[in-house]
This record gives sequence, structure tokens and C-alpha cells, in this order.
Amino acid sequence: MKWSLESAEKSSAPQRGGNDADEFIRNNVMMVTLEDMVAWGRKNSIWPFNFGLSCCYVEMATAFTSRHDLARFGAEVIRGTPRQADMIVIAGTVFRKMAPVVKQLYDQLLEPKWVISMGSCANSGGMYDIYSVVQGVDKFLPVDVYVSGCPPRPEALLQGLLLLQEQIGKQRRPLSWVINEQGIIQREKDEVQRVVRGPERIAATELRSPDEI
Amino acid sequence: MLAAEQSKEDTGRVVYSGPANAAVEFLKKEFVGDLLAEQANCDRIPTLWFDRAKVKAVLNCLRENSFAGSRFEMLFDLTAIDERARVHRDGQPSSEFTVMYHLMSFSGNCDIRVKVPLFDADLVLPTVSDLWSNANWYEREVWDMFGIRFDGHPNLYRLVLPPTWEGHALRKEHPARATEMEPFSLNDVQTDAEQEALKFKPEEWGMQKKSEDSEFMFLNLGPNHPSVHGAFRIAVQLDGEILVDAVPDIGYHHRGAEKMGERQSWHTFIPYTDRIDYLGGVMNNLPYVMAVEKMAGIQVPERVKVIRVMLSEMFRICSHLLFYGTFAQDVGQLSPIFYMFVERERIFNIIESICGARMHPGWFRIGGVAQDLPAGWEKRIRELLDFMPARLDEYDSMVLNNGILKRRTQGIGSYTTEEAFDWGITGAGLRATGYEWDYRKQRPYSGYENFEFDIPIAENGDCYDRCAVRVEEMRQSLRIIKQCVDNMPAGDYKSSHPLTTPPRKEKSMKDIETLINHFLSVSWGPVIPPTEVSMAIEATKGINGYYLVSDGNTTSYRTRIRTPSFAHLQMIPAISRGFMVSDLIAIIASIDFVMADVDR
Repeated sequence: MKWSLESAEKSSAPQRGGNDADEFIRNNVMMVTLEDMVAWGRKNSIWPFNFGLSCCYVEMATAFTSRHDLARFGAEVIRGTPRQADMIVIAGTVFRKMAPVVKQLYDQLLEPKWVISMGSCANSGGMYDIYSVVQGVDKFLPVDVYVSGCPPRPEALLQGLLLLQEQIGKQRRPLSWVINEQGIIQREKDEVQRVVRGPERIAATELRSPDEI
Repeated sequence: MLAAEQSKEDTGRVVYSGPANAAVEFLKKEFVGDLLAEQANCDRIPTLWFDRAKVKAVLNCLRENSFAGSRFEMLFDLTAIDERARVHRDGQPSSEFTVMYHLMSFSGNCDIRVKVPLFDADLVLPTVSDLWSNANWYEREVWDMFGIRFDGHPNLYRLVLPPTWEGHALRKEHPARATEMEPFSLNDVQTDAEQEALKFKPEEWGMQKKSEDSEFMFLNLGPNHPSVHGAFRIAVQLDGEILVDAVPDIGYHHRGAEKMGERQSWHTFIPYTDRIDYLGGVMNNLPYVMAVEKMAGIQVPERVKVIRVMLSEMFRICSHLLFYGTFAQDVGQLSPIFYMFVERERIFNIIESICGARMHPGWFRIGGVAQDLPAGWEKRIRELLDFMPARLDEYDSMVLNNGILKRRTQGIGSYTTEEAFDWGITGAGLRATGYEWDYRKQRPYSGYENFEFDIPIAENGDCYDRCAVRVEEMRQSLRIIKQCVDNMPAGDYKSSHPLTTPPRKEKSMKDIETLINHFLSVSWGPVIPPTEVSMAIEATKGINGYYLVSDGNTTSYRTRIRTPSFAHLQMIPAISRGFMVSDLIAIIASIDFVMADVDR
């Protein structure tokens, strides 16, 4: 579904030299399939579970506050109980003692549910290859998006969220109660962002030198 | 540790200054023939070895008596060392395990250590949890990590690792890496078993299920709860809404930092220190690098000291702002945190432009800092110095002067200075009781003696006072930062000492000896001479100390991290009894802890 916004003055006034009626309709009426509309709504209203483990949670909280303002993407409604949330951000190190708790919380999230693994520890154990740390939350949970960094900047989490939204926007769900399976119809996976943006990143030549601000 | 100066008389006997010396003399007289050895370390803290049959009497004697007018008020630390693989132990009694008690005198400004030799076949010694309240958790931790039993301890359960854990993690035979162990798996059956093991059982803690006229309710808070500030769990016993008792449960954030210290080189351990008090950033590097510098005998240039102080104080403000916002949020004010995070972003901008990272720059080095300050570094700091004071005033009117906040926090969770000592409380929590003691003033490190600043204190030691002290500390930090910017000395950002890591490169291409040394120092890391050292600082949450044992190797033999939050959390039940659940939330918020600082 494609749409854009224009200033009210511009869009409501009939334009000179065109078919006024056509233009008016184009600016005010949106034609869309119901399926697309639902997908659009779902992707823009992901409610995260209020869950944090360590350092990354501080950067996650920063993403909720004024400067970064996660509310712009409709994902600011933090829920205190997993039963009301759509998404869990594994923000921080997954400890052996904490793992069963994380698993139980994940199990309590209602379908459809998504997991963002935030930071090196949750991705792979990171710098903590140590007896008390699970080497990546994907050892016992399915992960949708991995956000790298130690800790990732709030912007990185925002990007992770946008990637997840993109993915959710392409999913189709049954629109009404049906007797059979309530499965999700997945489109073919797109190329991952790393592949798409790789050449562009490699081509970057202007890097700030560290000896000045 | 500066205070306990030590000199050798003609007789070859070691003399410490002031109360520490008086204490050592007293113990030698009182326990004639029981003193096994007197160990000399580079930090000049008297270290006396006693047999386990005598240790409790010795500790009690230190606790009860006053020496040259001052007492050893606090059990600062209690830990153990697995000595079985250690090579350099000159002058120490033989032992396979050593338990170490570190006492601190605030009034006399000195320290003393007592050590007890133990053998693997018989790892038992008497508890001191009846002498100091805070010994309870320290002893449980030693049991958990080393398998050393404390006779008479009321509940000697595992503290940090899960109850189902096998082995004791800080023993040398326990694997360090997760990848050396069985691959981790977690199916539904295992989850249930683990959850069952974590279940809170009131009878284990000697709790009654009902009183004469009512039945108690047991409420589990955490380990994931919005107002427990991380992975922390507390089980509370309630009579209606009145809190009868509580049992904090920690270990959900144990990252094995101490074990990590035994595996990383002296240099590559620095980033791990950042993540101990993860709100303190580079301030965490400071006690560690200073401890290593002390062992290596490195003097850092003045410029390094001032840069370190400046960045540490910025992180102090950052951490206090987060505390301030979450404290207000936990008692019901939802907006302040949104303002305060804007200020944090401002400071992070500065940190990032200097260090290249936000929360965990890991920017201090053994003998210096990672690089020189970038051109134009003062500009943003001066902007901050202009901007912040007015904002802090605004926050005062928004938070501290708010009537509801006052009623929610004044008179709640208060304790006296004596209680603070008994529980090992340091930092703002101690100063809020009216006791003026700040490491930066009493035992200046990194050049703090050259700065003008005040030590804010309060009177009542309640939640409100703890907050008020921290707010004033931010103003003092701004003062310190201003003096840093105004008087930044010119010079090197790295010492020229050969153990500085990474070493200076200038001469490495000019002669082969320097090149070889440089190569070894960069690849293996520096080799630190065998000794032991304690070094502590006034961190954001209280006194953060490192106790390092070097065995003359490229890694530490034992890294002990004494964190303030560990001691502070233990006090929660003692100060919350009789209050309501909502007060408990205010108390938890007012302590200002992070779980990484508790569990390490």
C-alpha cells in the first residue's frame, strides 16, 4: 500500500489546469485491499513488552524518550504483562539463571509475536563466553531481527524495529474467524538489509577522523 | 590506603600509620603466638594471617575496640582466593584456599585485612554474620563460588548461581567458558525444573505462614518487573498491604566478571570493567587501571589524571540523571525522565566525541587514556556547563519540591549512620545519614585533592535525602568539570613507563629492543610483578573497589570486584519492614543500583 501526505491547503483546493474531480478523488480517497490495510495497521502498532536484562535496556529506554521517540513508529505502548504485548526485545545478556524466566515470558506472549534480539550478548553471547551466560538467545527462542552493538545505539534499535515492521507489513493473516488453521502467509523473504546496503556502505569514503570533533 | 603509610624501622619491623598501626600492635599483644604471618603488599594495607580457630575472636576484637581513637566500622569486603595454582606466595602460610576479610575504618581513614588459610579437605570456618549484618551475603557468595562453608550461618544457600548449579565457579577447576561446557539447551521439562528450583519457599527462610490474627500473603516481585530496575527479584511477606519481611534474590545478572579477570590479559579486561556498573561508563575503568598501575609502579601524567576525572564526573552526572528520572517515575511522576534523558543525550554526545562510544567507551588504559582529547573538545562541555545548572534548578521545582513526591519519600526507608556501617552502605546512601565521607576527599586519587568541591550530606537518611544528596552531587560534579576544562594541563596522554599498555610507539622503529618489548606488550600484554593490591574509588553508587592478585603473569590470578550495590541491596528487608508495598518501590528506587553492579 502506497500513500503520501500533502499539506491540507494544497490537497483540498482544486488544481489549475487538470481534471479537478480526478485530482480531488486522488487526494482524498484511498483505494486499498482490506488485507493490505490490516497489514499496515499491524505493522504500525507493535506493542513491546516491558522487558530488560542489562545495559542494552538503558539504550532501549533511551529509544523511548524524547530524542529518539519510538512513538513515531507506533511502538511506544509498553506493556507490563506479556499477555498484552506483541513483541519482546531481548535487551541484554541472557543469563543461565534468567533463561527459564525469559522462556516462560516468551511463552506467555500471545501469537502473533515477534522477538528482537538486541545487542551482542543476546545475539551470540558477545564478549561474555562465560559459564553463566547463554551464548545467544536463539539457543531457545526464535529471533526475527538481530540488532548488533554493545550496546546498540538507540538508532540501531529503531532500525531493527523498522526491519521488523517491513517484515510484518508483508505478512497476510486471515481476516475473519475460520475453522481451519490461523496460519500466517509469508511472502518470500527479501534480501537481508546487509546485502542490499553493503555496497553503499563500503563505498562510503568520508569518515570522521577521531582527533577532532 | 594513602593514609596507611608504611615505613621500615631499623629493626626491619613494618610500621603503619595511625589507627592501623595501633590495631596491628594491639592484635600482636592480644593474640601472642596466634599471628601466623604478616604479609606485605604494595598497597600498604596491614595484612595479618590468623588460624580459623582464632579469626572470629580477632575480628570481634577489631570490631569492638577503638584504636588510637577510631574504630573499624565496616566489613568492607569478604572474599576468598583459590591458591592451588599460585606460584608466588613468599612469606604467606601455606593454604589451598584463603578467606580474606577487609575491614575499613571511616573515622581513622585506614584499612586492615585479615586472612585465614584453609585446605580443600576441610573448608569450614565460623560465620561472622552475627558480627556484621552484611557478612551474610558475602559468606553466601563465598560458599556459592568456592564451596567454603561458614559454620553457624543462618541460611547458607547459593546466592549468585542457580540453585541447580553443580560446582563452584571461582574454583580453578571450574570451566570458565560456556563453550567449554555442555551446550546449553532449554526444553519445557528443563524450564519447569529450573522454575521449580527458583520457587520461593517461605519455610526455608524461617517465615511463618500466618500470625495469630491473620494469614500472610507471599508476593513475588521480579525478576522481571518494571520497578525493580533490572533482573532483580524480591519475595515479600505481606500482612494485608503491610510488609512483614522480604527476601531479595539476586544472581539473575551474573556475568562472571571475576572469572573473566582470570582469563583476559590485564589490558583486555578493561572493557569488562565498563559493564560492571553499566551506568558509570569509564568511571569503572578507574579503580581497575589505578590498581594495575599501582602494582606496576606507573605514575601517570597530570593531563591523564585530569582527563580521567573530567570523564568520570560526566558519567556521574549521567548516572545520577537516570536515577533522578527513574526515582521520580517509580513514585508516580512520569514526565521528569523524559527531560532528564535529553540531558543524558547531551552528555553522551560529548562522551562520544571524545571516546567514540556512548555507554561503554572502555577508554582508560594502563598508564594513560586511549588517545588525546580531540581538537575543539571544550566547546560542547562549556555549552553543557552553561546549560545544566538552570536545568537542575528546574528539576528541583519539578521533582524535589513536589509535595506528592515528598510525602511518598520522606520518612520512608530511613536508617542511621551506624546501621549504614553495619550493612556496608557507602556513597550517597551513607552521606544521606549525615556522615560526611567521600573517597574523593578523604583519600584523594587521580588528583582530586586539587579540585574545589563540597561533599553534600543530608540528615534523615530516608529516600528523599538519598535523592537530594545525589542531586547536589551533580552540581558539585559540574564544578569539578569546569575546573577540569579551565585548567587542563598540557602534556602526554600516556605514561612513558615500559608497562604502559599499549606502549609508546615512537621509538619502536628505531631499535630492536624497543620493538621486541613493544611487540610482546601488545601481543601478550604486560607482565605485572607478583603482589596484591586494593584500590577503590567513589563511584556513582558508592565505593567500588578492586582487589587484584598478581602472580607475575600476563593475567590476574584473582580479580575481586567489591561493588557498592551488592551491599546496598542486602539492606532492603531491614529498612522496609512495616512499610507498604508502594513504599518498597520507593525504597528500591532510592537505593540507585544496577544489577550488573550487584551480580557482576
